[in-house]
Amino acid sequence: MSRLRLTIISVVVLCVVALCMSVGGKKVSAQNAASSAEPLYNPYPPGILPSDLPSELARVLREVNVIEAEAIRQWHALKPPVLTGQPPVLQNTGVASIEILGKLMNFDKTISPNQNEACASCHMPYAAFSGPIPSVNLTMIAYPGSARYRANKRTAQRYTYSSYFPPLQYDAVQGLFFGGNFWDSRATGYLTRSPAGEQAQHPPVDTGEMDLPDTACVAYKLSLAPYRPLFEKVWGAGSFDITWPANVATVCATPGGAAIFGSNTMPLTLSPADRTRANDVYLQWAQSLSAYEHSLSISPFTSKFDAFLKGIYTMTSNEAAGYALFNGKGNCNSCHLDGRGTTLASSQTDTSTAADVTPVFTCFGSANEGLPKNPRVAYYYETTPDSLGFTPNPGGFTYTDFGLGTFLRSGFGAAPNPNSSWTQYAPTVDGQMQVSTARDVAMVPPQCKSTEAPGPYFQKEFFHNGYIKSLKQLVHFYNTRDVYPFPVESGECPAGTVEKVTCWPTPEVVQNVDMTTGSLGLTDTEENQIVAFLQTLTDGYTTPYPDINTYTGTCMSGGSAATQGNSTIISAIKLRELMNQH
Amino acid sequence: MNRVHVKLLMIAAAGSLLFSNSIVAQNSAYTPEILPPAPKAASVKITEGPKLELARTTWAIIKWTSNNPGGSDQHYGVVHYGTNPNELSQTAKSPIRLNRNHSYTVFRVRVLGLTPQTTYYYTVDSMEATGRGGGVKSTVNQFSTR
Repeated sequence: MSRLRLTIISVVVLCVVALCMSVGGKKVSAQNAASSAEPLYNPYPPGILPSDLPSELARVLREVNVIEAEAIRQWHALKPPVLTGQPPVLQNTGVASIEILGKLMNFDKTISPNQNEACASCHMPYAAFSGPIPSVNLTMIAYPGSARYRANKRTAQRYTYSSYFPPLQYDAVQGLFFGGNFWDSRATGYLTRSPAGEQAQHPPVDTGEMDLPDTACVAYKLSLAPYRPLFEKVWGAGSFDITWPANVATVCATPGGAAIFGSNTMPLTLSPADRTRANDVYLQWAQSLSAYEHSLSISPFTSKFDAFLKGIYTMTSNEAAGYALFNGKGNCNSCHLDGRGTTLASSQTDTSTAADVTPVFTCFGSANEGLPKNPRVAYYYETTPDSLGFTPNPGGFTYTDFGLGTFLRSGFGAAPNPNSSWTQYAPTVDGQMQVSTARDVAMVPPQCKSTEAPGPYFQKEFFHNGYIKSLKQLVHFYNTRDVYPFPVESGECPAGTVEKVTCWPTPEVVQNVDMTTGSLGLTDTEENQIVAFLQTLTDGYTTPYPDINTYTGTCMSGGSAATQGNSTIISAIKLRELMNQH
Repeated sequence: MNRVHVKLLMIAAAGSLLFSNSIVAQNSAYTPEILPPAPKAASVKITEGPKLELARTTWAIIKWTSNNPGGSDQHYGVVHYGTNPNELSQTAKSPIRLNRNHSYTVFRVRVLGLTPQTTYYYTVDSMEATGRGGGVKSTVNQFSTR
C-alpha cells in the first residue's frame, strides 16, 4: 500500500471519527439540555457507565413518547363510563378507564423533576416491563435517575404479575414472610392493601430514580397533565382542588436529596386539607398504576404454558423435558410454584391434573440464593456529593445488600418498616430477596428472539444485582453454585477457571444461603432443557403482547450463553483502585 | 374397524408414547382441587448420608437425604459439630425449601468459620422453621478441612 493511499485512508477515518463524535456530542448536549440544567453526576471509575448511555436514554424516551401518544389515542377512543348504582360504579368502561389512566401515568416523562424520566424508562413492554437498555443491563445494572447519572443498586423488576403479590405478612406457622413488592418486599401494601400500588409510590420520590422531592409533586404534575380529565372522570371532579404554594414549580423541578431541602420530605407548604387531598391523589396514582399492571396489557396469561394447560399447545420434547426437570431434579417449583397437583412419585412422572390454571410461578416468599456481589453496580461508587449536595451511598463498596433483613430493620437503602413485630426476624432473612415470578423471564423484543447468545439476542440482567446475564447462566448457577465455589470477588477467579462456568465468587451475604439448590447434578443438556421450558412462560403466544414491538434499538449476536457478558467483567479489586484514583 | 381408523389409533398410541403422561393428563379437563397440607412424616428417616459434599479451608457442606419430613415449607438442616467427638457443641444450620411434590428431601448445610486442616466430628438433624425438631438420629461422622 502506498504512503499516499495510507494518508488518504487515515484522513477519511479521522473525518468519520470526528463526524461520529460531533453527532454523538450533539445527542449528548441535546439530551442534557432537555433534561437538566445541572451538571452530570459522574463519580464513576472508567467502565461503569456504558459508552452509549446518553443515546440509549434518548432512544428509550422516544419509545416512551410513542406509547404515551398511543395511550392518549386509546383514551380519546374510549366511550366514557357512566357513574351509576349504589355504591356508584363506573359502568361498562370503568375498568378500561382506570387501566388507560395507569398507562398514561406510566409513560408520562413529565412526572419527573427534569421531565426526562417516566416509570417506563426502566420498565418497557418488550422486556416484560423491566430494563430496556442492553448496555445498562450489561454494566451499571440500575438505571440512571432523572438527576443524571445518579443510580440505585438493583435491577428493575418486571411488572408482570406483580399485582398478584399479597400484602406482606409473616406466617408464624411456616416461619416465612409472604407478599410485598420489590426485591426486599418493602412495598408491603400495609395501607394501600396493594403492594403493586405501593410499589408505584416509591420511584417518583426515590433519590436514585425519578427524584421528586415531595409526593405532593405528583399531584401537582398530574393536575397539569393532558389526561387530567380522565383522572377526574375516574377519581372524581375536584381531585385537584389544591391551593399550591407559589414555589411549587420550582420545588417540583428540584431533585430530592438536594441540600436545600435538608431532611424535609414535604417541602411543599400545604394546608392540612390540601396535604390530605394530595395524599389521596398519590394513593389514586398507586391504584391506577396497579390497575394497569393487573390488566391484560401486562399480565395476560397468554404464554405457551397457558395454552398447554388448556390443552391447545403441545410442548416440544425439550420443553417437556425441561418442565419435568423444573418440577423434579431441578426442584425449581419448590419456590416457583407451578400449580400442579401432589401426586408426583419418586420416579418423577406427574400424572395429576393442574391444581391451578393461573399459577404465577412464585411462592411470594424470599430466599438468599448466595449471589456474589456485583462490582459493576454503579451505586458502590456514588460516595461523593452531586452538584445538589446529595451523596447517594456514603458507604461506597462496603455497602452490603441484606435485602429483606435491611428492610425489617428500617436500614439504609430500604424504607421504614411499618410493623415493629417483624424486626425480630431480620437475622433469619438477611440476604433474602423476593422470589420473582418465573413468568416472562425470557420476554424480549420479537426481532431479538432470545435472551441467549449467540442470538440474535436482547441482553437482559437477572436476579437483584444483575450478576447473571443469561438464562443458561441462571440455571447453571442454581446447578453449580456449590460445585465451583471460590473465595474470591468477581473478576478474580483463579487461572484455569471461567467465571460463571467453573468459578462462582463467594456470596455477598453468607448468612441464610438457601441450600435447596446449589448442587443439582444437572447435565449441560438438562440445563438447556430448563431454559427451553422457561421460554414457554413468555406471554404473547395465544394473543399478541401489547406494545412489544416498540423496541427501536439493536439486537446483539455472537458468543455463547454460558459466558455471555463475561467480556464486561471488571475485577472488583481493579475497580476499587480506579475509584481511588478517580 | 376400517383401515383408516386403525391407522388413527396407531398414531394416537404412538403419540401417547412419545409424550409423557403429564402432558396427556394436562390436556384433560381442569379439575379444581385443594392442595392438602404437606403430610407430616411419622418419623424422619435418613435414607442417604450424611456425608461430606465439599470441604474448603474454612468451610464445608454436609449433605444427607431423608424422607419428606412434612410440616412447614421452610426447613433447616442442622449440623452439630466439634473437634471432640464427645463434645459436638457447635451448630450450623441452613435453610431449604420443602417440595411438597417430592417423596424425599435433600438437606445441605454450610458449616462456616472452620479451622484449616482440622478434623471435625458431627451429627445431623433437621427442624421446621418454627424450631420444631425432626427427631432425626444420625451416627457421629467426621470430615477434615483442607
